[in-house]
Amino acid sequence: MTSLFKLALDQKADVLKKIRQFFDDQSVLEVQTTSLLNVPVTDVYIDSISIQINLDIQLKTQYLHTSPELEMKKLIAQGSGDIYQICQVYRDNEQGSQNFNEFTMLEYYRLNFDSHQLMGDVISLIKVLGIKGEVHKLSYAQAFEQFAQINILNTNFDELKVIAKSHQLSIDFDWIEDLQIFLFTALCEPKLEQLPICFIYDYPAVQSALARVEGQVAHRFELYLSGMEVANGYDELQDAQAYQQIFDRENSKRKQLNKPCFELDIAFLKQLENSLPQCSGVAVGIDRLISQIAKSD
Amino acid sequence: MAYYSTSQFKNGLKLMLDGNPCSIISNEIRKPGKGQASNKVKLKDLITGKTLEKTFKSGESVEGADVMELDMQYLYNDGSEWNFMDPDTFDQFIINDSNMDDVRGYLVEQDMCVVTLWNDNPISVTPPNHVILEVVDTDPGLKGDSAGTGGKPATMNTGVVVQVPLFIGIGEKVKVDTRTNEYAGRS
Repeated sequence: MTSLFKLALDQKADVLKKIRQFFDDQSVLEVQTTSLLNVPVTDVYIDSISIQINLDIQLKTQYLHTSPELEMKKLIAQGSGDIYQICQVYRDNEQGSQNFNEFTMLEYYRLNFDSHQLMGDVISLIKVLGIKGEVHKLSYAQAFEQFAQINILNTNFDELKVIAKSHQLSIDFDWIEDLQIFLFTALCEPKLEQLPICFIYDYPAVQSALARVEGQVAHRFELYLSGMEVANGYDELQDAQAYQQIFDRENSKRKQLNKPCFELDIAFLKQLENSLPQCSGVAVGIDRLISQIAKSD
Repeated sequence: MAYYSTSQFKNGLKLMLDGNPCSIISNEIRKPGKGQASNKVKLKDLITGKTLEKTFKSGESVEGADVMELDMQYLYNDGSEWNFMDPDTFDQFIINDSNMDDVRGYLVEQDMCVVTLWNDNPISVTPPNHVILEVVDTDPGLKGDSAGTGGKPATMNTGVVVQVPLFIGIGEKVKVDTRTNEYAGRS
């Protein structure tokens, strides 16, 4: 009899094999980038795990990568073309039944893809891996309109607090984007549980992260499988100055929250001096994806 | 009253929500990729009995509810009020008949049950998991049917109707599971 333990090992190996086959068929190159970084990401709510190395030579602090994003973008800036990576990533201060300090991430970039083309490619990938069900696509604004009757793009911070209060929800937030995210979790996510595959795209510009902004929205998307957040993708920012602005803003928010601020990744910004070619990229949580494949069967 | 932070949330903790005392059934932490953590909590409203879902920002504090669960003896009812006694202090508590909907069919005089007090006032009663009730009305069953194939409705001395095996007759005492309203054997 095959044990559950062996089945789980076989399933993960099978998924990794199929992912590699999927990208090989499309001539997307597998890469490996360093997981030891000199400077950590500035993401406000993602904490890096720091480690001290070279105690016997000259002590220095390094950070385990929370995602291979910037390292992979350095490769793209140097002309790598389409690339993917499957790696373990590490995050500090994670809690909850779906969050871990270490997990397996698939990250990949396609040149000349916009965010909708990349969503189409992600659908092909998850279908190959055995995720079943109808595909839904909703813009962030549509989701809020449909599930919570809120015009999210045209509601200011004070108005949004009044709405949160009417739902007896916390209004203790420093920035509108944090309240938007909280309201999405409270009011929209429960409705997404009914949908096996759902993309949410075009986030408010204040939630752009590293995605291209056009008008009121940033071309960013997330994939939810039965309400579980599984992937996060961007039509990527291209020039170094835009990245620097985001990093500075994130650092100032970290400062306000009494979290450590970090130097910017100068090597990254320098690499991008000649700008990144237009591309879209996505990070997929493989362990969460596998938990949903099991449910699809 | 004490306040509880989301980090202190656990199943069974009693909180005040919308003016009613509620008990936590489940508590799950959600952390979006780009945002702060929040707690998705399922609670039971101890007044209405309804289940509700609330999302709290992690770190938020919520007022606790002064709710106590005490073992008490059910004494009697006079049709409009139900009387209970704390066997340790001999204090008596009264619950209105209108609050007894789900449980009045399972309370037998002298039985021990759990009475929930909110600010020292009784708000609900939980009967024992199994009670012994007497059949006061049922169709005559087939003699010799001891296998209990199928079943028939039987009205108990407390008014509740329970599906019983065909061989059970009027006047017999049976064991009833109060959580499922199912027959659980002859007494």
